[in-house]
Amino acid sequence: MTFDRLKKNRTRLITLAILTVLFVTASRGMPADDWALTVLRGLSVGMITFLVAAGLSLIFGLMDVLNLAHGELFMIGAYVGWTVYVRPDTVVDLLTPICLVAVGLALLPLLEPTVDRWQKQLTGRLPQVWPWLTMTLGAGGVVWLFGRYPLSIWHPEEFSQSPGTFALAVDQGTLQVVPAESTGLIVVLGFLLAGFVLAAGIAGWRRLGTAPLSHSGLPRGAVMAGVLLLLVAAVCWLANDSLSNWLLNMNTTGRFFLAMGAATGAGVLLGGFVETTLIRPLYDRPIYQLMLTLGLSFIGIELVRAVWGRPEFTMPKAALFNGRGDGCPAESFADLLANQCATMSLFGARIRTYNEIFIIVVGLVVLIAVWILLQRTRLGMIIRAGVQDSEMVEALGINVRRVFTQVFALGVGLAALGGVLAAPSIGLSNDMGTRLLLLALIALAIGGLTSFPGAAAGAILVGLLQQFMIKYGQIGIPLPFLAEPFKPSPPLVPASAVLLMVVILLVLPQGLFGRNE
Amino acid sequence: MTKSTFSLSNSLGLLALLLIMIALPFAIALFDGQSPAAVLGSETGSAKFIQGLLIEVFILAIYALSYDLVLGVTGLLSFGHAMFFAVGAYWTGIAFKSLGWGVGVTLLALVAAAVVQALLFGVVLARVKGITFALVTLGLASVFHIIIQATEFSTYTGADVGLQGVVVPEWIDTVDQRFRFYVIALLATFGFYLLYRRFVDSPTGRVCVAIRENEERALALGYNTFYFKLIALLLASITAAFAGFLHTVHQPIVSPNVASLGFTVAALLMILIGGVGTLSGAILGAAVFRLLEYYLERWFGPSASFLLGLIYIGLVFFLPYGIIGTWHISGFRLKGVTWLLERGRSQN
Repeated sequence: MTFDRLKKNRTRLITLAILTVLFVTASRGMPADDWALTVLRGLSVGMITFLVAAGLSLIFGLMDVLNLAHGELFMIGAYVGWTVYVRPDTVVDLLTPICLVAVGLALLPLLEPTVDRWQKQLTGRLPQVWPWLTMTLGAGGVVWLFGRYPLSIWHPEEFSQSPGTFALAVDQGTLQVVPAESTGLIVVLGFLLAGFVLAAGIAGWRRLGTAPLSHSGLPRGAVMAGVLLLLVAAVCWLANDSLSNWLLNMNTTGRFFLAMGAATGAGVLLGGFVETTLIRPLYDRPIYQLMLTLGLSFIGIELVRAVWGRPEFTMPKAALFNGRGDGCPAESFADLLANQCATMSLFGARIRTYNEIFIIVVGLVVLIAVWILLQRTRLGMIIRAGVQDSEMVEALGINVRRVFTQVFALGVGLAALGGVLAAPSIGLSNDMGTRLLLLALIALAIGGLTSFPGAAAGAILVGLLQQFMIKYGQIGIPLPFLAEPFKPSPPLVPASAVLLMVVILLVLPQGLFGRNE
Repeated sequence: MTKSTFSLSNSLGLLALLLIMIALPFAIALFDGQSPAAVLGSETGSAKFIQGLLIEVFILAIYALSYDLVLGVTGLLSFGHAMFFAVGAYWTGIAFKSLGWGVGVTLLALVAAAVVQALLFGVVLARVKGITFALVTLGLASVFHIIIQATEFSTYTGADVGLQGVVVPEWIDTVDQRFRFYVIALLATFGFYLLYRRFVDSPTGRVCVAIRENEERALALGYNTFYFKLIALLLASITAAFAGFLHTVHQPIVSPNVASLGFTVAALLMILIGGVGTLSGAILGAAVFRLLEYYLERWFGPSASFLLGLIYIGLVFFLPYGIIGTWHISGFRLKGVTWLLERGRSQN
């Protein structure tokens, strides 16, 4: 039995053996401190790639959707996290209108029966026309009110008000913000009303279809969500200044963790929203999903450019990872925690705490958490079954559509977490998503398209390979028959990952961890 | 679909369209207050400008047609199609500039290069299929993209600034002989369209369609599907390389971007806009794609990309099978579209 399995996986084992030999050979060519640094950097890049690739892999495996907007969602996670971290007062200002508009949308199930009854009394072309008019009116109202809403925000065009300047101020602890004027009750009520008008239009539009009303009675979840949103909006409106000040005076470490949570949460909400409204109608038309997600990625990039501007800027590191005082660089992990050092010595190399340790730790935690979710919970069981045959799962009486939404939200949430995690190390730019998407695709293909451990292994492999190429670009590879050591030039770094993918796919078409067909 | 495409009414329609397209520059010149002779003399003006824009549309249309043959007709999803175009564009530039070859020799060598790269894709084709084929072709094209940007070959390819300073033979120079080049590009587009129509109706083309519909069944019927897919790739490669040739003749600078994933995605967008597998949709899609891009950029400046994204999403919802595809459905024929539905079901 064991021998049979070995024989069946012969190519796979040989490939893994060759990769190991290559890794060992590459490791022997450099001193210990360089090696430690290169491996840790590779793991760090690999973990960021993994966070994007994991979502891509789950979404592709379960729904056959190749989400080309995933890189842009990663980017949006980074920008949202930056905003919570650097300008929490802007977020507090923004929460009021967003939550108020969302109240109407959350109460959509409550509105639908009323709208339905009312719409049935209309005659002529009116039932087809009024939802569009109402939606336009609602959306226009929101935009108009937003133009009049006092907001304390950065301005990319002015240097003294640009995101980069604010980031620098946070880093030096000299951040000064001018609080926005308080908002009148009329504007607040206007947002609430506009949200309801918008929701009524959407409800009418949904009733144009042939689908029956999904439920009867009081939708308890919707009412709860509505009340909660209303509460958040009220708190942010009434206690705007004290809330802003509390956040601004908070320890940067606490604010950074808050930013991580907020970015992930925003990613989950955005993912759920995109799946239910845009992706869901297209499950029957696989190729057009590519066009849709592509269109979304264009929109994502332009939105980010419009709000945060085109220039790149940085996200300062939290105090926990930025200590430079006594006892730094730390000699042990205990010292590291006690002194909150920016760097530590390991194998004689200077290792940056955030880039080379924290990212890897968070990546590992997520890896294990998602692994447990997939292997040990009921939802995970449904997801694994759905990857194999989602029609069969549906036939067994499981609401696969809901699982689709959950998985899409989870995948986007992971990508957004990757974004905010990567931001302090690689900075924020408009093309960070596009670059990472290509890496994640390569990692996915190497690991086997729908396999979760494959996505992790592929991502780490890609990260390590790239960092080794960069390192050897500096020290050179001594090759036989060549007098000078061969130095891979910078363009060869991405090329190496691509070449690795091509070779592995030609040898193992199903990837390293994919299932045999 | 037993009906021949070369029926009398169809041919007359095409001929009329051809004549209208030839007359268009003259009409624009008259409208603009120039004499029709200005068109023949390539004088500066909106007629010359529109011709330039339309030549770009024709080049993109030929390129999109070749992608439609691979994806729409044969059902192969390739993410490396831009390489076919880029090889043509770069080869032409190098042959003209560094080797000093004439048009005829260049074109012959171009066909040879196109055959070689299609065979390279054929090596991949024999081993992997589905989305893996897409990713491996993406890998091959990315390697090519990186090579043409490498500094080692900058005397030939111009590295990341692109291939510059190509001197085009005078008789097809797009600056002095704009109208002549316009007609050449127009005729090439029509020629390739008719050739592809004929190919799809030929026994070989029918097998390609059968592969798209159900490859296992075509295999079971005794067709060696690999050779048919390879033929489609060969034809597409030669066509796309020819589009690349026209591109280099028309544009003085060849940017490395024509080998990037973005350019393959552009082809995908064009045939999705027009309708997958409809051939005429590829041409229409190329026109919509290029003109939208140009005019949105001109009217709205930097925010054009945002609007473009919105338009693409709108198209997906309001023209679910592309312009031509949706027209066919809401008309009375369902050709070339049912496979998408079938595919969606079989993949779930």
